[in-house]
Amino acid sequence: MDHPRELTVEAPRAWDRPIVSVPVLVCLSLVGGQLPSFSAQANLYTLGTGGALIWIGLSNRVPRRAAPRRLPRGAVWWLLPVTVFGVFEGVTFVLAVGDEFPTFSRLADPLLEDHLVRSAAWFGWLSAFWGLARR
Amino acid sequence: MMRALAIGGFLTALLLFAAVEWAARREGSRIPSLAEVCAFVMRYEVGPVPVGRIGLFGFWWWLGWHFLAR
Repeated sequence: MDHPRELTVEAPRAWDRPIVSVPVLVCLSLVGGQLPSFSAQANLYTLGTGGALIWIGLSNRVPRRAAPRRLPRGAVWWLLPVTVFGVFEGVTFVLAVGDEFPTFSRLADPLLEDHLVRSAAWFGWLSAFWGLARR
Repeated sequence: MMRALAIGGFLTALLLFAAVEWAARREGSRIPSLAEVCAFVMRYEVGPVPVGRIGLFGFWWWLGWHFLAR
């Protein structure tokens, strides 16, 4: 017997569950955290992992969560942190006076030299990317 | 002095991001979460081209490359 499409729910695939995806992301992050800045390996690894996630996100290979058709008015609150960040990033970038008045990335660079911090940053980046691909 | 101002400014922005997200997750909040805002942006299409989706993926890809490969 056929069921209407809107009444059927796809069972989550085994690899789409957190018990599978989280350890995979942790492993990928630990590898990424070992790669030094400005190296060919780091560039290729970033392009490879990001490219794979974009391919997954654009090819309808994972079930997506429903997106809101409209945003409530409260969405304007997001302009506050975005504006503060944008103003400081813009001013520090345009003035370009180095460590005297550093950009966000210049401040983050020394922190990201530590392998553990770098792996944590990798995990945050990949997790958010995975979340975007499933939206 | 200027360095402290920059650090303070970026920390303020990060705290504001966390505060708005916290407010969005409260029961009955009228503020959408950051994930919902991203999902809404990703709905934007021009004809058959998912412009919002491609744009957000591209931005996030560049961000990772900028911080983690350079």
